[in-house]
Amino acid sequence: MNDEVIFCCVLKAEISRWQQIADFLQRNNLNIDLDIEQFIVALDEQQQLVACGGIAGRVLKCIAIEPALRGHGLALRLMTTLINQAFSLQRYELFLFTKPENEALFAECGFHLLASVDDQVILMENSATRIHRYCRQLAQQRQPGQRIGGIVMNANPFTLGHRYLVQQACRECDWVHLFVVQENASEFPYEDRLALIKAGVADFKNLTVHPGSDYLISRATFPSYFLKSQKIINHCHMALDLQLFRQQIAPALGINRRYVGTEPLCPVTAQYNREMAYWLTTETLSAPVIELHEIERRQQAAQPISACRVRELLARKGPDAVRSLVPETTYRYLWQHYGSPPVAHSLAV
Amino acid sequence: MKITQQSHAGTLESGDVLIRIQPVDTQEIEIELESVVEKQFGTAIQRLIHDTLNKLNITGVRVIVEDKGALDCVIKARVQAALIRATGTQLLEQNWSEL
Repeated sequence: MNDEVIFCCVLKAEISRWQQIADFLQRNNLNIDLDIEQFIVALDEQQQLVACGGIAGRVLKCIAIEPALRGHGLALRLMTTLINQAFSLQRYELFLFTKPENEALFAECGFHLLASVDDQVILMENSATRIHRYCRQLAQQRQPGQRIGGIVMNANPFTLGHRYLVQQACRECDWVHLFVVQENASEFPYEDRLALIKAGVADFKNLTVHPGSDYLISRATFPSYFLKSQKIINHCHMALDLQLFRQQIAPALGINRRYVGTEPLCPVTAQYNREMAYWLTTETLSAPVIELHEIERRQQAAQPISACRVRELLARKGPDAVRSLVPETTYRYLWQHYGSPPVAHSLAV
Repeated sequence: MKITQQSHAGTLESGDVLIRIQPVDTQEIEIELESVVEKQFGTAIQRLIHDTLNKLNITGVRVIVEDKGALDCVIKARVQAALIRATGTQLLEQNWSEL
């Protein structure tokens, strides 16, 4: 009966079909994730949905198969179709979320384990070597020293608060590695955020600014980070992200302390900081412990400086309202984007 | 011959193989092989893929192979198909009966 199944693609705009998928997932104890753009579904002769798998960026998830049809090779056909669909969208480097009990099934489809959270969720990718190649590249940028710091920032946009955090870390460490969140899901595009960070920290001599990657706060490791507006706080995503940092990235560079700012405003980031305390410092995990240094936010006018606050002020009052909250380089950039620049020469980066 | 883009060919179904081709910066040939018959035929499959690449004069490539017990002719055909897609128009002049 397997042969009678046909596969088709369902886009988010097809509301009634989408609802059918949601119901199907529900029956299989899964929720439909909000960032999924399209599903591949399998329909039997009666047009009943018998299997589905979702694509969200380069992540495959919400994959389910009608219990009665399991064990007949439908999974491999579904996965072939799903993977082919992702490939045809030019997405070759894929990640996959699933429950731990399905690891063997997806291993058969070429996926390898990256990180897992208890008995709840695992993250896999479709290469046995990609993360190791990435870590080898990172390892070439190792720096000598006892105290090696790590910072991951989105810097949306780069403020004096960020600069203060970097400054504190550079003061306390022999070397600091700063990663910039690569995902283009923020108001300010990645290239601009990276350029503003580089311009804003150019005077620190014991610092390397690294481009971000899929393995650091990306849609793959931490999808709910990019759904902040929906106030979805997913404990599992944070745990996956932090484990990758502790077990892969930090050892590659010898990072033994991570720096974060205290987070009074954004609930997702605040929760991430709390999770960090657990996932980086608990002794039970296989990788060495990473000290967590939470730096008190720098204040301005009795309020903490944060990117949230800058964005909000910017939207209401324009660049001049945030002048005292951002470095000169960011200020000039904001003018270029929000009106005529006060300084004639452009931002040199 | 240069690999200009990523490509793929094949399926994950039993008796078939899913091949992915990626360009790499060096002139090397990297093969990532997973096969249900790796113990018995792993070396033979590696050799087959090397041969197929060599005959088409291809270097600077990573071949990711997810084999579900495909026959040699299937593996070869899948690798060739993926290579045609990965090299743009460069392979169109190839005399295939020679291979």
